[in-house]
Amino acid sequence: MSALRHEASLALAIARKDALAELRGRHAAVSTLFFAAVVLLLFGFALGPDAQRLADAAPGLLWLALVFAGVLAVNRLHLLETDDGALEQLALYPITRRAIYAGKAVGGFVVMLVLGLIVLGAVGILFAVDVAGAVLPLVATVVLGAVGIAAVGTFYAGVTVRLRAREVMLPLLMLPVLAPLLLGAVKATAAALSGDPFGELGAWLQLLVAYDVIMLVAGAATYGYLLED
Amino acid sequence: MPQTIYVSPRSLGAHDTRPPAVVTTDLARLFAGSPALAGVSLQVTAGRTIALLGPNGAGKTTLMRILATAIRASYGSAAVDGIDLGRDADRVRERVAYLSHGTGLYDDLTARENLAFAATLLDTPDRDARVERALSDVGLLERSADRVRDFSAGMRKRLALGRILLGSASLVLLDEPLAALDEDGMGLIEALLGAWRDVGVTVLIASHATERLEPFLDGRVVLERGLVADVSGDGVSSTPPTPPATRRPAVVAR
Amino acid sequence: MKTRILGAVALIAVAAMVLVALFVVPADLNQGDAQRIMYPHVASAWLGYLSFGVTAAAGIGWLWKRDMRFDAVALSAAEIGVVFTAFAIWGGMMWGDPVWGVMWQWEDPRLTTTALLLALYVGYLLLRHLTDDPERRATRAAIVGIVAAVDIPIVHFSVEWWRGLHQTATIGSPDRVLNPAAPMVFVGTLLGMLAAFTLAWVYLMIRRYQLARLEVEREEAARVERLMSRHETAEVAR
Repeated sequence: MSALRHEASLALAIARKDALAELRGRHAAVSTLFFAAVVLLLFGFALGPDAQRLADAAPGLLWLALVFAGVLAVNRLHLLETDDGALEQLALYPITRRAIYAGKAVGGFVVMLVLGLIVLGAVGILFAVDVAGAVLPLVATVVLGAVGIAAVGTFYAGVTVRLRAREVMLPLLMLPVLAPLLLGAVKATAAALSGDPFGELGAWLQLLVAYDVIMLVAGAATYGYLLED
Repeated sequence: MPQTIYVSPRSLGAHDTRPPAVVTTDLARLFAGSPALAGVSLQVTAGRTIALLGPNGAGKTTLMRILATAIRASYGSAAVDGIDLGRDADRVRERVAYLSHGTGLYDDLTARENLAFAATLLDTPDRDARVERALSDVGLLERSADRVRDFSAGMRKRLALGRILLGSASLVLLDEPLAALDEDGMGLIEALLGAWRDVGVTVLIASHATERLEPFLDGRVVLERGLVADVSGDGVSSTPPTPPATRRPAVVAR
Repeated sequence: MKTRILGAVALIAVAAMVLVALFVVPADLNQGDAQRIMYPHVASAWLGYLSFGVTAAAGIGWLWKRDMRFDAVALSAAEIGVVFTAFAIWGGMMWGDPVWGVMWQWEDPRLTTTALLLALYVGYLLLRHLTDDPERRATRAAIVGIVAAVDIPIVHFSVEWWRGLHQTATIGSPDRVLNPAAPMVFVGTLLGMLAAFTLAWVYLMIRRYQLARLEVEREEAARVERLMSRHETAEVAR
């Protein structure tokens, strides 16, 4: 067990390092947030001005904005490692590949969580849905969604970090795999906002949990091969 | 520049009981079909300081990257301290330190933060004290709170060397350490080579020209177009590569 | 030689089953003649999924054994699978138009999952195309294939849940053909089509793999050749 705890502390050290570098000068998190805000605005233009239609579409718009912003966020977290060959150096430490993946994914999770909570609030305001009335299930959904996006995104960001046409390939690879997460998160959000009339909230949250677990395991098992060249 | 540098290798044992620091057998690596390393069979005795010479593109960096476990070989095998790279790369990583062209430092972090991060990942005992000692040993204590983004190339090199001091490697690979270093930097390299020799660390230095380092070298290997062209001095020997037999196609021996 | 016989048998089997599906088997009571395309559609979809499984499994083989032949299998299965998958989607849309009134139904788990499968295939093949170094390509493709393959069952279940929770069991459901209570002649035709298509798939896999393996061997020979010429020029220089 202590080996696992050691790995966990290594992963946290990596995440902390990413957080430090982000806060220091990359202004990355802030620009991703603004990107999400712009996406929401465009949704308003595209689907509005009918308030009812926007309110009905709000869960979908929330998660679309988060998924698109997520692509940007995980991409940048990996770009941190292009500082003078940092990723190659990172792979040379005597640490498990799993710990590197976990460290990157934790960083991604924190970014997505903060992003998700802020965008949730923004959606409540922009599309007139009652977020405050269902805070607990909505936050739970955001947490689970953030884990999934981070798990999948970290993996694919690693795959594409040195790939040609990276800007297109990252979303192309990542988004289809995120489809079940998108479905589950949107359905859970919609159920939560409408007071869960069919009692389906639990089922969707379970789907998200299963998705997160499976993707984390798959990502942790395969990420290491990327570092071997 | 401090006279004594703190170097803490693993307990290495007496010279004659140690396995060769490096053994490669027909080591080859191709990139997009072109051989960077074409079949190198080398043996390096433990505790020696060996120079890898040769022009650009001779394969020095590729050889080091394979030994550092940064990349895999295409053919052949290699062992560090008797541990096979193909089978046990994780254990090899614990004992090898590599100074590459890219320093792998994070621009937005300070010198101290970069080293503290490295020390955490290297599991350096007594972390904070060792970080301070390493900063002082490489002469960057006054700049320790400055971001690496503002450092010159020479300072980055020195910080990267400081990172090596935080580990306990038995094999140190220096890829073009003299490039971009000023006089102080040169003095540091010389002090490091002395300190490493004293504790029995094996050092491989890749360089275009090493006149300055001559007094520290035990042996020299000249690489040319991916093959060993010449070997001299002691502590290193090489055998001619076996011609790649018509092996069963598509089964790549690693 | 044996492969050629297999190819001929597969061709005859497919042609025969197509004729059976078009002319011999009776039309469905509710869906009419449109239902006939279900036979090749289901068979193609099945092979599309099988191919992806083979791709992922071959990827695991590469990561484990580092034998390029595994990668040749993965590539072959991916290329053949994408064709079957595309055909399955087209067939599904052709069926959907007369039966559902629309070519697409979001809550049909098979159609949406198969569409996603196509997207995964395209991503996989593009990734391969964009990576030049053979070993790096094999490794990247392998891990992407594995993660995508793991995702597919989740997609299927989630879409099924989607449909189930909304309780729209339409009469025009493609599942009717797979229903064990369906008349024997329907089930028999489907199984026959499945068998014929699978034979064709095996034939195509063998041929494609042979090509891919030749490519691998050629590449390997070229690499060995380049190494040897380095040795020779060095010898001469000595």
